[in-house]
Amino acid sequence: MAFLKRKQKASFEGGGLALFMDVQEAMKAERVLKGAGYQVKLVAPPPELRKGCDLALEVNLVEKPGIERLLDRKDIACVSVTPLKVGISELLKVVKVTDFGDWVMVRAGNMKLTFDKASGIIVNTSGGGCPDIPHLHSELIGKHLIEAPRPRDVGFTLCALMLDRALDECLTLWQGGR
Amino acid sequence: MMLIAGTIPIKDLPLTIGKVGVEGEFLVVDGHHIPCAQGTGAMISAALATTSYLKLEPPYVLVAGDIGEGKGSREVYEYLIQRAAELSPEVLALHYCVPDMALMRRLYQAVEGCAKKPLMVADAASMYVAKATGLATEFDIFTPDATEMAFLADPDATHPAYINRHLFDTDITQTPKLLAAAYQNRSAAKLLLVKGATDYIVRNGQIVATVTEPDVPELEAIGGTGDTITGLVSAFVYAGLELHEAAIIAARTNRTAGKLARVTPATKVRQITKHFPAVFKEHLCQWSGVCLYGRRKLE
Repeated sequence: MAFLKRKQKASFEGGGLALFMDVQEAMKAERVLKGAGYQVKLVAPPPELRKGCDLALEVNLVEKPGIERLLDRKDIACVSVTPLKVGISELLKVVKVTDFGDWVMVRAGNMKLTFDKASGIIVNTSGGGCPDIPHLHSELIGKHLIEAPRPRDVGFTLCALMLDRALDECLTLWQGGR
Repeated sequence: MMLIAGTIPIKDLPLTIGKVGVEGEFLVVDGHHIPCAQGTGAMISAALATTSYLKLEPPYVLVAGDIGEGKGSREVYEYLIQRAAELSPEVLALHYCVPDMALMRRLYQAVEGCAKKPLMVADAASMYVAKATGLATEFDIFTPDATEMAFLADPDATHPAYINRHLFDTDITQTPKLLAAAYQNRSAAKLLLVKGATDYIVRNGQIVATVTEPDVPELEAIGGTGDTITGLVSAFVYAGLELHEAAIIAARTNRTAGKLARVTPATKVRQITKHFPAVFKEHLCQWSGVCLYGRRKLE
């Protein structure tokens, strides 16, 4: 029978929550994000995460940077995109620096960025696992730290956000070393 | 069949499946050219170098273009969900993709429908989502680096960007503690190959080997050198080696090729993969204990 062949409705579990100050903003955000191909679901936030109205959007937490950028472009005020599970640590802010002589490697979370100390040219990026990372690898290598595109502006995922933190630290080291 | 699935950073690359070949510096699948660079391309290159040397059937690859927007990733998942039972690969290696927990659960259900469950390998975001969905123990091999090992040890983290700071601060010598936590949380595959200054090969929670030589610290800075290890280990298990043997040889091969390439932090991964055949010729017989290479798998 035809109805038995009906496509099963896809479930969604994103692990992230976009919080808004009012219901209208949440609904507008749902429309915009779905229109751009993101998977989202209107949900009631748990009490401990309520910051305004009682309507939020469940989103794929990994896609946080792309989602925040799109909402910003569409002038939709999003209070924050946060892990759905209470108790999860904050985004990593700490970085580690490795000196390779002529080169310096900075590690932020799972991402590493290496530049030439003398020229300030990015020579490598490594780590990560999201699809924007190989793209950013080719976009960043060969460019000067100051002229390189910011991963937070052109990437879409948490890996890109970590790479941006590494670039930030590299810029600090480079400018401090001048 | 060995099947590698993942995304390629070419925005308009359609969903593509086929046996992979080489044309100059590029991989070729169904007429599409794929760069041998960080990501799934580097992994495929390493796997293909291995199967070519062993005269095995080249890997089948399932790829789609995706620069982070997620469309190509979801196409790869959906194709596998629909066709996994029909394809029934012996080895299924999952790589770069946007992590999607619901799709990963459906994919695992589809894989359970295969006549014989494939040997499952995951690296990159496929490993992140396997852990986040609680399916880690259903996988045969994960290949984390030090930070990803901390992520596996953190029971709450769904992505390495959210690991607990004290775990991030842990250095590679603390890996045994992280391993114990990851296995206790059921967040690890049956075999882990932890990539770092010391490579740890861990089977069901027990460290069975470590690899430290040759010591080439610059490899950590080079994008794609973790991906090549995953490609190597996947191909070696496809060739019939035990999981831990495949992992040890993969770690040694990567390091030795790095040494031959005289790498610096500015080296590109393709300059390393081109040395794999020379490493195999020189060392594989001794490392694997099997020196008969015919048109059949290692036995």
